[in-house]
Amino acid sequence: MTAFKLPDLGEGLVEAEIVAWHVGVGDRVVADQPLVSVETDKAVVEVPAPRAGRIAKLHGAPGDILKIGDPLVEFGEAPAADTGTVVGRIETAAEASAAKAPVAAGAPGIKAMPAVRALARKLGVDLALVSPSGPDGLVTKSDVERAAKALAEAGPPEPLRGPRRAMAARMAQAGRDVVPATVVDDADIGPWPAGEDVTLRLIGAIVGACGAEPALNAWYDGHEMVRRVNRRIDLGIAVDTAEGLFVPVLRDVGGRDAADLRAGLERMKDDIRARTVPPEELRGATITLSNFGMLAGRYATPVVVPPQVAIVSAGRIAERVVAVDDKPAVRPMLPISVTFDHRAVTGGEAARFLAALLADLARPG
Amino acid sequence: MHTVAEFRITFSRILDPDGTLVAPLPAFAQPAEAVIPLYRAILLTRRFDAKAVALQRTGRLGTYPSSLGQEAVGVGIAAAMGADDVLVPSYRETAAMLGRGVNLLELLLLWGGDERGNDFAGPRQDFPVSIPVGTHALHAAGAAYAFKLRGEKRAAVAVFGDGATSKGDVAEALNVAGAWRLPVVFVTIDNQWAISVPRARQTAAETLAQKAIAAGIPGLQVDGNDVIAVRAVVERALGAAREGEGPALIEALSYRLSDHTTADDASRYRPAEEVSRRWREEPAARLRHYLAEAGVWSKDDEERTIAEIDAEVEAAVAAYEATPARDPATIFDHLYAELPGPLRAQKATLAGGESDG
Amino acid sequence: MAETTLVGAVTLALARAMSEDERVLVLGEDVGVDGGVFRATEGLLARFGPERVLDTPLAETAIAGLAVGMAGQGLRPVAEIQFMGFIYPTIDQMVCHAARLRYRTRGRLSCPLVLRAPFGGGIHAPEHHSESTEAMFAHVPGLRVVIPSSPGRAYGLLLAAIRDPDPVVFLEPKRIYRAVKEAIADDGNALPLDTCFTLREGTDVTLVSWGAMITETLAAAEALAGEGVAAEVIDVATLKPLDEATILESVGRTGRCVIVHEAAYSGGFGGEIAARLAERGLTSLLAPVERVTGYDTIMPLYRLEDRYMPSVARILAAVRRTLAFA
Repeated sequence: MTAFKLPDLGEGLVEAEIVAWHVGVGDRVVADQPLVSVETDKAVVEVPAPRAGRIAKLHGAPGDILKIGDPLVEFGEAPAADTGTVVGRIETAAEASAAKAPVAAGAPGIKAMPAVRALARKLGVDLALVSPSGPDGLVTKSDVERAAKALAEAGPPEPLRGPRRAMAARMAQAGRDVVPATVVDDADIGPWPAGEDVTLRLIGAIVGACGAEPALNAWYDGHEMVRRVNRRIDLGIAVDTAEGLFVPVLRDVGGRDAADLRAGLERMKDDIRARTVPPEELRGATITLSNFGMLAGRYATPVVVPPQVAIVSAGRIAERVVAVDDKPAVRPMLPISVTFDHRAVTGGEAARFLAALLADLARPG
Repeated sequence: MHTVAEFRITFSRILDPDGTLVAPLPAFAQPAEAVIPLYRAILLTRRFDAKAVALQRTGRLGTYPSSLGQEAVGVGIAAAMGADDVLVPSYRETAAMLGRGVNLLELLLLWGGDERGNDFAGPRQDFPVSIPVGTHALHAAGAAYAFKLRGEKRAAVAVFGDGATSKGDVAEALNVAGAWRLPVVFVTIDNQWAISVPRARQTAAETLAQKAIAAGIPGLQVDGNDVIAVRAVVERALGAAREGEGPALIEALSYRLSDHTTADDASRYRPAEEVSRRWREEPAARLRHYLAEAGVWSKDDEERTIAEIDAEVEAAVAAYEATPARDPATIFDHLYAELPGPLRAQKATLAGGESDG
Repeated sequence: MAETTLVGAVTLALARAMSEDERVLVLGEDVGVDGGVFRATEGLLARFGPERVLDTPLAETAIAGLAVGMAGQGLRPVAEIQFMGFIYPTIDQMVCHAARLRYRTRGRLSCPLVLRAPFGGGIHAPEHHSESTEAMFAHVPGLRVVIPSSPGRAYGLLLAAIRDPDPVVFLEPKRIYRAVKEAIADDGNALPLDTCFTLREGTDVTLVSWGAMITETLAAAEALAGEGVAAEVIDVATLKPLDEATILESVGRTGRCVIVHEAAYSGGFGGEIAARLAERGLTSLLAPVERVTGYDTIMPLYRLEDRYMPSVARILAAVRRTLAFA
């Protein structure tokens, strides 16, 4: 910064009083431009700038007395920033903003005019359940009215609760994740003694089959793509009740004898009837048995519930005509289906498992 | 071939840049003391401008166009006008507006971003500043027509810069004022610069005054930094206009010693030496010298007057900063004489109230 | 009561306003001695004299600028622009000054001017004489935009516009300047501004239009009646400020809306109406709002102008689409 001193005003004057500044800090001035009015004995005199420049500092205020030679103003050398405008204020970004990738459009939704949507809401119709008859998949007013009529003729809406709700959620999840495949066959149980407990025989057969082909007694995590073959067999047993489907777990079926298993089964049935199954008893199955043969049905493709990878189902025992020694014979046949998650289990593994299962069931006892 | 028309443009000056009389003084300038109010008015404009620039720099005022160097033109115009005349100003018109009775607070409000600054308590019929360049010359012609139609002895004054004389609106205004013999005086303040475009590149015309010739009206030049000459010339033209003798175009030669606005930097496009030269012709100094030489102005007068003016300006700034802010809902006021229905709903949303909009 | 055309109604209204209020004056090119190129100002010079009927130099900006200055001094100028094609030089004066004078002086000054111009196509004219850019003015805060569609409404609305204390752009549909005659009582009664006129009641679809297109729109409504479709026809009349309440109420009942305007499609004023329906009438709509408009092209010269302008057939097609929607 260069200081400009109060110049000699002539006539032998040694000092002067500041009357008024004509410039301010930050002003750009040119040579000869009046900087300040000062009062001397004789007159008020304007002191001109000696050069062009920017005023950085003023020395003194009106009323102050300066001596000739005292600093008057200081000029700054740095030029003021270009405002880049002639009116107003233009904001400047401090740094460049990163370019953002454009967001892909979402999936198209249900198409319906606003009045139609309002009608659907009023009638309690879920537009997702309405099949559109309008052009381009548009849901029309008559579509909504038709759906409302159908709904009215159906029973009142019953929100799912308890076991039904849990089943709906569990099966939906399984349906999203599992890739099911099924292999079926029949076991000739003619050799069985009279009064044989079907459930206990099935449990035993499953134990044997898991020993022959442990791959079906495993847990699979589809997200991490990790498989855990379980050493212990905790068998889920599907039980149908008035309230819905329960699948309590019989622990370590491979390590218990028949009497223990029988007792366990009885306790399980009692607990279910009495609604006292603790929640832990419904979790952690490594493989599941669904014996629907007491009701009806032959083969089935029931749902594999993750993290399990297999479910064994047994259908209704029936007398069937089969070939024995090249001649037709009537034999009691127990239909067996093995449904497996093909993400984690191969067809070969499933077939070997089934073979072992059938071999065990075919034994007399 | 023979000449069918010729023109002559005259230049008037009474006080030269050194403050020496070079022509007879008009009656209003005698005795010498009679000129003191004109000098004070120039000082007031200058001190207010400086304050406005300082306020802008500290964020207390918006963009402001200083009149540094051309104060004498506006002061002379306002002094020449009658109370019943109407001023139609450009945007760089602080001097004339102050002379017409617009007060400092109103000017601060306007440039401080509040329309209340245009609701003049003083000159109720004067137009507000015109930001679009030159468009207002036609308004002055229209107002002049109203005076003529009503048989009133009044005149309108439109003031605009050298750049404006390139605008079609100005040419149309000069033309229709001449064709209809309207009581309007057009003053172009030729301060040599239209932002960064110098006078020499604005037009090939040797003078701006001669654009009047094309409109068939008188055009004359005056030294715009000589407040006495400005007042004399404008007063004569206004008298003629009020008497039905038609319009005139007056070119007041001056120099814009400041930047175009507070956001502009004139050093980008004009040399400092040129500005320095022009400082030696500025209007306040020559008048001070004249008054001092005439023995009617002392250093005490100077000091006292500056102090008075500064106090006036400070008081106005204090009043400006103490002015309560307007309710935002007033954005909807005065859009029409009566706010129509759907706009009332919009206004309610601004006020945060219930709306059907 | 005399049978009067639309342009004749304009003359009647001007004469009535000028006789009632000495502040009213008329200015424009050829409005005095020639009575205006469409004879809209016929007879006014003889009746009111050259001080109040001014033949201006050829300078549209000046016509509007003078009107601003006159209005600022309390006169009531009615400025004529000879064709809407030549209105653009006035936009600076209308937008920057006329629309703002009251606002920026907080009511100290005001601008009670009327800027009137014949507009629209269909008269086999050379280029630039068929403009419909009313949307430009309708966008500007502080202005009013008024468009009559019949002799009676031209008389009543122009009187209202002249008496209104704020600036009005009054666009006269020149294609129907003389097409229709109506018995008009020159009684000085103005019609209300800022309101739509329901010209025909109906229950099945709302047709919204203004200006010359009202003729085609009413013809379409008549044809539809023959097909058992009851169309309601609304004449917007004042585009700005828009009386959206009338339109919303109608579409609230019919559920279907077709907007008809001669002006080009994109940025045309029909878009504003459609937007209001989407904002405040959405749940009433049974079909999308249709707009039958000029195309987004320059108005073609007269050999093809009929193909550009909306026809009764195009209106009917749009109505049928909207009825068949779902």
